[in-house]
Amino acid sequence: MTAPSHFYTSRHSFQRRTEGTIVWAFRLATYVILLCGVFVIGNICLKGLPTVTGSFRSLKQFPYVTNTFLFEAPESLYIFKHEGVKREMGDTEYRAFREAETARATAEGRPVPEFKAQSYVYAAGGIWPCIVGTVLLVVGAMTIALLLGVASAIFLSEYARDSAFVRFIRLAILNLAGVPSIVFGLFGFAMFVLYFDWNVSLMSGWFTLAFMVLPVVITASEEALKAVPKGFREGSLALGATKWQTIRKNVLPFALPGILTSSILGIARVAGETAPIMFTAAYVVRDKLPWEVAKFGDFFFQGVMALPYHIYVVSSKIPQNAYTQRVQYGTAFVFLGLVALIAGSSILLRNKLRGRYQW
Amino acid sequence: MENSSPTSAAPSRTLATPPRVARKDDTVPSPTLIDVKGLDFYYGAKQALFDINIAIPDRRVTAFIGPSGCGKSTLLRCLNRMNDLIDGTAVKRGEIKIRDIDIYGPAVDPIELRKRVGMVFQKSNPFPKSIYENIIYGLRIQGVKSKTKLDEVVEKSLRGAALWDEVKDRLHESGLGLSGGQQQRLCIARTIAVEPEVILMDEPCSALDPIATAKVEELIHELKKQFTIIIVTHSMQQAARCSDRTAFFYMGKLIEFDETHNIFMNPKNAQTEAYVSGRFG
Amino acid sequence: MKRYFDSELETFRSDLLRMGEVAVRQVRDALQALVTGDVKLAERVIAADDELDDLEKAIDTEAIRYMNLRAPVATELRLVIVGMKASHDLERVGDEATNIAKRAIRLAGEPPLKPYVDIPRMATISIEMLRAALDCFIHADSAKAIEVVKRDLEVDAINRQLYRELSSYMVEQPGTITRALELMFISKGLERIADHATNIAEETVFLSDAQDIRHEQSLKKSGLTS
Repeated sequence: MTAPSHFYTSRHSFQRRTEGTIVWAFRLATYVILLCGVFVIGNICLKGLPTVTGSFRSLKQFPYVTNTFLFEAPESLYIFKHEGVKREMGDTEYRAFREAETARATAEGRPVPEFKAQSYVYAAGGIWPCIVGTVLLVVGAMTIALLLGVASAIFLSEYARDSAFVRFIRLAILNLAGVPSIVFGLFGFAMFVLYFDWNVSLMSGWFTLAFMVLPVVITASEEALKAVPKGFREGSLALGATKWQTIRKNVLPFALPGILTSSILGIARVAGETAPIMFTAAYVVRDKLPWEVAKFGDFFFQGVMALPYHIYVVSSKIPQNAYTQRVQYGTAFVFLGLVALIAGSSILLRNKLRGRYQW
Repeated sequence: MENSSPTSAAPSRTLATPPRVARKDDTVPSPTLIDVKGLDFYYGAKQALFDINIAIPDRRVTAFIGPSGCGKSTLLRCLNRMNDLIDGTAVKRGEIKIRDIDIYGPAVDPIELRKRVGMVFQKSNPFPKSIYENIIYGLRIQGVKSKTKLDEVVEKSLRGAALWDEVKDRLHESGLGLSGGQQQRLCIARTIAVEPEVILMDEPCSALDPIATAKVEELIHELKKQFTIIIVTHSMQQAARCSDRTAFFYMGKLIEFDETHNIFMNPKNAQTEAYVSGRFG
Repeated sequence: MKRYFDSELETFRSDLLRMGEVAVRQVRDALQALVTGDVKLAERVIAADDELDDLEKAIDTEAIRYMNLRAPVATELRLVIVGMKASHDLERVGDEATNIAKRAIRLAGEPPLKPYVDIPRMATISIEMLRAALDCFIHADSAKAIEVVKRDLEVDAINRQLYRELSSYMVEQPGTITRALELMFISKGLERIADHATNIAEETVFLSDAQDIRHEQSLKKSGLTS
């Protein structure tokens, strides 16, 4: 028994079937992306977690627990057999162990045991200097990028009159977004390392990374500023405020959440790019931590170790084996965690500001 | 036969009692505050105002009426130089004198001008801050910091805007939480907090319902004791109810400017009559 | 909600009521002057007519201004319209009273034709009608107003009777023609005053019920008293 036909019965079942199919295609696309993301991140987490957690060691004194992977410098791994037992030790530990055993053997009058070990470079120790270096690079580069970018966005959207020149500037900024990061690295190398004579240093890295992420920051900041209703500006100006007073009190605070959102994207990029810092800021290995400098000025002009570069180093510059793989995944896992942490705090800050400056 | 013509009892015709309608204060002439002479105004290459000559009286309500695009809002925005914020606008001829000072003259700072000539906009735009912060915004930019002074100004302005009783318990809540009519009165309070001489209102009630409109009109009637008010309106009933003098504009020209009662009762110009009787176009 | 122009309407109402008071007083005083032959009183009545004229102009000006600027609707609109019409009626009442006073002056010097009985009776009824109509106006009482309308026929009847009487006087004693004519005109004037009171009563019904009861002969006929 068919339903009674009236004005509102559906007449186009073909179109409804098509709609159904299309929606399923969209769903499928989303799920595929989700699966890939889960697979990649899951893989890193699964393989990297043991490295981080496995390196916890307990001590007999404060702080009672310590972690070698996160808080120590990279070392070589020594695999050797001693008294029939296969052991693996890091460089410092191995030396200490050797001395202790030699001393013990000498004290007991036994012959000094022979220590034949296979060493794997970078397979032991930790990545503490890399973490420090990445954090420094991110903080510095984002500061410079936000300062320059927001200032530029304010000028372009509030002060500049529309002319061919301004349109050209906007076009140039957009083009900058498409430049490959290796080109930025070369630019940074030529300009900051060689021409300004800053050498491979934090300063060079900061500026290179800042320029790389500027287009995103400027575009997003301009959008955030434009989203603030015109009425706020008019109302403020009509009360006798100058343009800068208006922007400072009535426009910028409400555009901040949007600007911070752009910074979240920027952070992920700045932390993760290897090519720009390869020539400008990163060392393969450095035994001094960044704050161990002779004078304050030297702090800015030293190179650092960085996480993405370290991953590159342990993955391609040294021979591969099961022991280096641990370190690779461990570093990747720590890297993801660090970026998530910085981005997370940025989101928290944005939410707090959104609550305060809601409109 | 009696002569039926009146005898000596007929007195000469005199006014035995003066007319009962008390002459309102508003029809007593008031000195001119704003004197616009020969004003030509351009948006880029397009002329928007042609030879405007109008004398706005002090402490009265003047209404600007006219069809869309006739230049009434343009003239209003000229009075506090808000048009300066748009690129390419220029006053090519004529002058606007407020208390005999040409506001387009070289020594005049538009920022200072806007502190004395305030504006209320069509779409109420309270800032997304607390009611308190909204009102003292104008004072903060002038650098006033004393909390007692700020509190005093907030109460005075809110009372002046007939909003105090409604919001005195929630001064630190967001201004956006108020109803439309309250928001517009908040904007008025914000404007009078800096104690201007003139309040310009650009269709202040067009977004409000009749009750909120009535409250704002009552407020205007109170405010005109202290401030000179110029109101641009599309509603002729509002111009008739609120204003003391009305100016009719068409296509950038001032067609007629007279007491409101005369404009609506016996306009001198045929175009004015057509517009106020709704037969325009 | 109180609006600032409510006071204008209050002024309008009070002006109307004042006009009513003055009109009633004028009619009473004119009749008094006729009956007692008081020439001074009659002259005061004639002089006071200016007050009614000025009040009519003031009320009309105020009404036009209110309609122009305040765009009244409903009760306010009816009040303004009725007020304008009533002021016209009251001004005409004043004019009739003035005419009675003028005729009273002329009659004062001569002996009365007959004892004044009917004319004062007509006057009493007319004044009562006028007072009642004004009362209904103040209280917007349409029921009582209809009663006023019905009494008009009484006054018409007395007028016709007086007309017959005076006509026969004039035929029998030609020397009384001038006085009789004055009395006829006075009677006619009082009948006109009653008509104006009727008009005001009809306007009151319009004010309170928005109903137009003018020219309803059936209404008047139903009030025919013996």
